[in-house]
Amino acid sequence: MAEYDQPPLSHPVPPETPRAGFARGLSGAAILAALALACAAAPLMADGSAVHRLDADPVAAALLDGRGSLSFALLAAVLGGLLGIGWALLAGMLGTLVGSRAERRTIAAAQRMAGWPLALLVPLAGGLTGPVWLLALVTALTAAPAVAVLAHAELSGLMRAEFLTAARAAGLPEGEVVRRHLIPNLTRPLLAAGVLALPRVLAAESFASLLGLGLPPALGSWGASVGLAARLGDPVAFVPPALLLALALWAACAIADGMAAGHRKP
Amino acid sequence: MTDASVLGAAKPAPVETEALTLMLGDRVLLDRATLRVERGQVLAITGGAGSGKTALLGALAGQLPAGVDMAGGARIDGHLLIAQGGRLAPRRPLALQVAEVVGHHLGLDLRSSLRRMADGLDRMGIPAAARRFDLPPEQLPESLRWACLFAMAVAVGPAVLLADAPAAGLDPTVRLRLLHRLADWARADGVALILAGRPEDGLAGPADRVLALRRARLLPANPARTEPLTPLEPPGTARLHARGVGMSYPLAPGPRGEARSLAVLHGIDLDLRTGETLALLGETGSAKATLARSLLCLPPPTAGAVVWMGRDLMAATAPPATGDANDPDRGGLRRARRDLQPLFPDPAASFDPAMTLGAQFGLVLESLRPDIAADRRDHRIDEALEEAGLRPEAALRWPSALSVAEAAHAGLARAILSEPRVLVADEPASSLSAEERETFLDTLMAVRDRRRLSLVLATERYDEGLRDAHRGVVMLAGRVVESADAGTLRTAPLHPYSRAMLAAAHGERPALQGDAPSAFAQPAGCPLRRRCPLAREFCAQAVPTLEEVAPGHHVACHYWDTPADG
Ligand code: SF4
Repeated sequence: MAEYDQPPLSHPVPPETPRAGFARGLSGAAILAALALACAAAPLMADGSAVHRLDADPVAAALLDGRGSLSFALLAAVLGGLLGIGWALLAGMLGTLVGSRAERRTIAAAQRMAGWPLALLVPLAGGLTGPVWLLALVTALTAAPAVAVLAHAELSGLMRAEFLTAARAAGLPEGEVVRRHLIPNLTRPLLAAGVLALPRVLAAESFASLLGLGLPPALGSWGASVGLAARLGDPVAFVPPALLLALALWAACAIADGMAAGHRKP
Repeated sequence: MTDASVLGAAKPAPVETEALTLMLGDRVLLDRATLRVERGQVLAITGGAGSGKTALLGALAGQLPAGVDMAGGARIDGHLLIAQGGRLAPRRPLALQVAEVVGHHLGLDLRSSLRRMADGLDRMGIPAAARRFDLPPEQLPESLRWACLFAMAVAVGPAVLLADAPAAGLDPTVRLRLLHRLADWARADGVALILAGRPEDGLAGPADRVLALRRARLLPANPARTEPLTPLEPPGTARLHARGVGMSYPLAPGPRGEARSLAVLHGIDLDLRTGETLALLGETGSAKATLARSLLCLPPPTAGAVVWMGRDLMAATAPPATGDANDPDRGGLRRARRDLQPLFPDPAASFDPAMTLGAQFGLVLESLRPDIAADRRDHRIDEALEEAGLRPEAALRWPSALSVAEAAHAGLARAILSEPRVLVADEPASSLSAEERETFLDTLMAVRDRRRLSLVLATERYDEGLRDAHRGVVMLAGRVVESADAGTLRTAPLHPYSRAMLAAAHGERPALQGDAPSAFAQPAGCPLRRRCPLAREFCAQAVPTLEEVAPGHHVACHYWDTPADG
């Protein structure tokens, strides 16, 4: 009997934890909110010396930098999310109006671009152009293809859903099917896809600022401070912005994961 | 007293249990079962989902699932367990996994393991051309994966083989062929074989003995209902006509930019009379579901015509010409939708997750029955729910809170809301367990009889589909291969494919070889010719057409009247 024990036919299936991503997303959101609050309140800690950031206490200085990083990331993420979702919707619309070929081409472009190292464009834009809004637009563009790919996957999955067929069987005209069934079920997955832009733009901006080609120095940025401290060889100035940046990146990723996990059925 | 008992005393049976009791928490899964399986005996244990089959096999194999407690005695000789779903690692080449298992049990190297495996595949009847050991299991067809698992068991050669849900999910004709081969091997080599599965899996056919796991006891199996619930009434006149219905899907353009398409349904003619029940029988790839949906024009077929009460439905679903886009009942489509209602194969997915059942039912009524006043709608919804076997409170529930069976009944309730005349059901009970299936089908038939509905029932279960039907249509690769009244199809079908489906439904050995070819690689000529026992050279040259062999009995086969040789 001994020779037959433990059949290696069975490969253990890892236990499923469908809500784990959701919990992580919640903690990510909490941490990001706390960071944003702390950054907003930072001028109160800096005794009015906000202008001379390098003289200030390094933690307060890092929090001041966070104002620039976080608000820029928020702006670029909203832009990038909207661009990506718009891209996916455009592909879907082309699919119904023109034909599946146009849809496939539109989304194949996004798929290809999502694989390119688009983040390199951000320092380029930072070095070449002045205005912040233009930099935000370029940063948003680097995140948009990934958002578009995910949003389109969700959209086309939903377009094939059986309950839409059931609604058609009930004689609802196409417009009603879209209004009553498609749109209510589409908002959450699209939002989840849009949130994907947040960690990407934050990372791209920090990378560019690290090279000194990101946000203008007046705005302040974690990446810029880390880069400066590294160049000056100052560990005390290096650690706080690096830690805060890492924390913010983790939180942004956790939110994106949590949103993606939260709307999926267990 | 006889030799057998003397022998039995000298050599104990390979599997023996003594008052074996299994508990899951404080729930009794198995109550004092005493079981004995001899060498070369095949035992089938059937039971619905969650009845404790897996726990029983686990207890026998000495691998109790977590949380299950065991009392009583179980003795088993050297055994091998084929776990549910096969559990092969999907990405590793099959050869390595096979060598690992066979080598582990017999201490052989890769080459000898593979040689033993090849012998095993011979006994499973897998032709050498189909053996692809270098591929990972996820790239192999499901049937080949199961054949490899069985062959692996044959290669190891245990004294007892336990198989949990073997070959589940395969087409009946393929599943029964493999199971019979496995049973043959067990009898020839004196292996005690225990097959566990759901009652509808057809495990009873190859087995010598069948026990059903019901209410924690192992009892002799109940035969399924074979007669219609109530005597069928003769049908009336034909109302729904399908003429030359075909469906093809566009594919990516070919190398020279030419348009390509894949035809899955080829010119089907069908008539449905009032009060008639028509069973569409076919396995995977037969396009029975496509035909069912084409009858509803969801989506409309790409060729032919569907006519309901003299109205061409395809014209009605075509995009409107300018001017009448706001017409609420364009071309009578809404009227037809009200009369023709579908039942979906996955009822849970056919409800909008963002609305309660009641809200969705309200929408259906608003759209299809504008003649029912808004304040009478709730009453109508309650009636439909009760008729479908649910409580009226179900209207307040969300689709995600429904069990699979409740969702199926809710789907039926939605379908009868608008008081239709025809129900087109595509595998409406495929996701249900055996008892739920019976309950659901009984409800469906009761509804049909009360409302004198016509019913189109697409299913892969030959016997069950024909049991309550007037007429049956057997489909293969998008073509009708035989159509006749239900009685003829249940007793004396003529087409080799219908005969194989009938044999599989009765648990006998289907006379077909191999697997159904994929839709992209259909053989020229008769789609069955690579599997057919009657095939001759001419079968490759012409697709057989339907010919009438007796009044109301059509067969599409060149050699239906030739007896099989050997
Ligand atoms: S036509 Fe030939 S291959 Fe096809 S079913 Fe008849 S005998 Fe078999």
